[in-house]
Amino acid sequence: MDILASLDFSFFLLAALGTLVGIIFGAIPGMTATMAVAVCLPLTYALGLEHGLALLLGLYVGGISGGMVPAVLLNIPGTPSSITTTFDGYPMAQKGEGERALKVCIVASLVGGLISAAVLFLFAPMLADFSIKFSYVEKFLIILLALTVIASLSSNMLVGVFSGVIGIWLSLIGTYSLSDGGNGKTRLMFDFLEPYLVDGFALLPVLIGIFGISTILLEAEKGVKGGLSGQSLKVGKEGHFSLGMFKGRLTNLVRSSFIGTFVGMLPGVGGSAASVLAYTQEKNLAKDSSQMGKGAPQGLIASESANNALTGGALIPLLSLGIPGDSTTAVLIGAFTLQGIQVGPLFIPENSATWYVMMVALVFANFVMFFLMFFAIKHIAKVVLVPKYILYPIIVMMCVVGAYAINYGIMFDVWTLLIFGVVGYLVQKIGLEVAPLIIGFILGGSAEVYFVKSLESFGTYSIFFTKSPIAMVLWGLIAASVIFAIVMEYKKRAQHRLEAAQ
Amino acid sequence: MSTPKNSFAFGMIASALAATLALGAGVAMAADGPLRGNVRVVIGSSSTGGDTYQNSSIVVDKLAEKLGVRMKVDAVGVSAAYRALDRDPRGNTLMIFHDQSYLGNLYGVEGYEDPFENYIIGPTIAINPGNAYLVPKDSPYQTLDDIIEAVGNGTTVRVAIQPGGVSEIGYTALKNAIRIEHPGKEDNLVAVNTGSQADKNQLLFDDQADLINGSVQANEQYTRLPEDDQKAMRFVWLTARNDTIQQAPESGLGETDRETLLQYVEPNVSVTMGDEDFTFDKEFFFLYNKDMDPAIVEQIDATLEEIYAEGEIQEEQKKSFFIPDFMPSDEALAHLKEKASRYEDIIDSLKK
Repeated sequence: MDILASLDFSFFLLAALGTLVGIIFGAIPGMTATMAVAVCLPLTYALGLEHGLALLLGLYVGGISGGMVPAVLLNIPGTPSSITTTFDGYPMAQKGEGERALKVCIVASLVGGLISAAVLFLFAPMLADFSIKFSYVEKFLIILLALTVIASLSSNMLVGVFSGVIGIWLSLIGTYSLSDGGNGKTRLMFDFLEPYLVDGFALLPVLIGIFGISTILLEAEKGVKGGLSGQSLKVGKEGHFSLGMFKGRLTNLVRSSFIGTFVGMLPGVGGSAASVLAYTQEKNLAKDSSQMGKGAPQGLIASESANNALTGGALIPLLSLGIPGDSTTAVLIGAFTLQGIQVGPLFIPENSATWYVMMVALVFANFVMFFLMFFAIKHIAKVVLVPKYILYPIIVMMCVVGAYAINYGIMFDVWTLLIFGVVGYLVQKIGLEVAPLIIGFILGGSAEVYFVKSLESFGTYSIFFTKSPIAMVLWGLIAASVIFAIVMEYKKRAQHRLEAAQ
Repeated sequence: MSTPKNSFAFGMIASALAATLALGAGVAMAADGPLRGNVRVVIGSSSTGGDTYQNSSIVVDKLAEKLGVRMKVDAVGVSAAYRALDRDPRGNTLMIFHDQSYLGNLYGVEGYEDPFENYIIGPTIAINPGNAYLVPKDSPYQTLDDIIEAVGNGTTVRVAIQPGGVSEIGYTALKNAIRIEHPGKEDNLVAVNTGSQADKNQLLFDDQADLINGSVQANEQYTRLPEDDQKAMRFVWLTARNDTIQQAPESGLGETDRETLLQYVEPNVSVTMGDEDFTFDKEFFFLYNKDMDPAIVEQIDATLEEIYAEGEIQEEQKKSFFIPDFMPSDEALAHLKEKASRYEDIIDSLKK
């Protein structure tokens, strides 16, 4: 009866409101699900645990989903986990298929969210036991596997790998933080930069700068012709979304959802790794992945189902170990501690009412997200019809505000945004590749921590191969991924030669 | 052309956002003391799930209500918090942190200046009595004494800690006790430096550590798992003073009552410093900008005095397993300085 008593009208209203606000947060570059949850956390004090959780879970689901909107329409990942959505989403939007791309994303998000919720509900304690089998070594290998996407993502493999290494180097600027068990000393910088770069470059300003600002700079170079930002919207059957687009893509959808759930449940691996990993796997395993990166719906399906599946996944260790799976659930845990409730291995058996209520909120939020976005998207997608000279200044302004806000008012983050905007522009001018660079940047930091910690714990390099059967399987996947990328590269070259010969 | 529609959409987004933010703000009453306007309370932790945030929220809520000032806790982390505090001598930015502020300095961690030199120390507000050390449930070591003995006999014991502060101080004290009881053997106690509680737990699960630093709050449920569960742990030591735990609610935390917790504190568990046992209470207190108006210091002292005299806040703190511990600024300064100098001796005695 406890459960039914909590599930009143205001409960559902809060969950829906949370989802709406979350979508808005997610859609504004620089504002994230984590931020939305953090801003609203103090409200849960007054709302009580169940109602507070309804609001926060809504914000979480909405915030993760909202990131797709600027990713597709403006080539700016609204949240770090929508990075791979830009790869295919933006090319589609440029072809006038923005609405179609977004609808694919929304359906994929819903499926990802629901699959992960089901996994959470049915297998949480069991999976938590599995997740603790992943020590530093296995976590490092997971990140390494995600990094192999660099090879298959680049149009020229050597240049791509080089760009990826630069990205990793950029991620190491700052400190090996004490809170990661490091020494807390600054490195890779001049002394006068220490006050600014103690924590390194902040992730989101870098992302938005490299993707958003540099795109705008490239456009600016072409000059203002008073034109529309998108070509034209496709009408008629061709540009329309239908569920038929998912035909033959179910494996991708389900696989990516499971990858998202799985990565979400590994604490410390991070949300962006989920969509990157799902994207890699689709690229490697699909029968035809040649269009990926040029505007293929399958890339969107992989990316969006995986990043929404994060939500359920990240809640697994939170609720069955007391350990948050990603940065947003790390804030979410505050809702429990503020109420004096400890989450840990006995949370679910001892708080079954709260547990069921959370599941209801999570599933409900996914549906609200779906309906809100599916029917609003037609209007939102028209943002590309706004003339560039109006749209771009607004975007730059929003990016600056978002960058300033991301760490609660650090001006250096705004400089980071602008510097990386220029860097992103130059990188493309000199022929380096942006996507590998950014993936290196996102994953480099945790790769280092887990690599060093593995060596510190075990004292030998061979441990990476011999630690556990899981490690060996991961090596198999890494090898397969690299070999696949090389084979594809050769095929591509052979084809080029053939074309050149004709 | 659908531009009007789009500006409508933008308008919608903007107003929805404004509404959300306003929802959290509430209406502040007019304040008449020296502290006025919006007050941001930064904390030295970036976690909203941690004890600093929880504790600060309780106190700041009461303070805001009593003062009629709008106040908000911001979990920005150490360096950002100090920077925010440095920028603002007006009193619109305050900070709440704990013993880490001076321990970080004593351990020589970058970014930790001497807080007694650089800031005004404000009142203390509460103690978190939960700082604990745990072993796996099937560990051969039944007590901390077993560990001290084993290390004294030349066995290597690995302790997972986060270096440079509160998590390390118990380890340092233990090492010091071994140095006193078994001179020359203290190097057999080895620190495994790591980060979050999750990482420390993981090291225990993976058998990469024999002892970990944790807390009653974060680890109590693990101590109730059956022994054959890979995740099961056992407390061997709580660093808090016996007196401190005595003040905890009788029911303790979760299913572990006060009586049980008392088994793990001095004098039942003894970590010697030579003439007395080592104890460590993690205390939370305010820090202010050096140039802040002394009238504000007095105002906050007086207001907290009133709040604590009413007795309601104590109940709320105890409900969340904090021990109320109010000391006005000058008293707090003397107390914390004395505390710091005691720990400085232990840390120094291990430097070679």
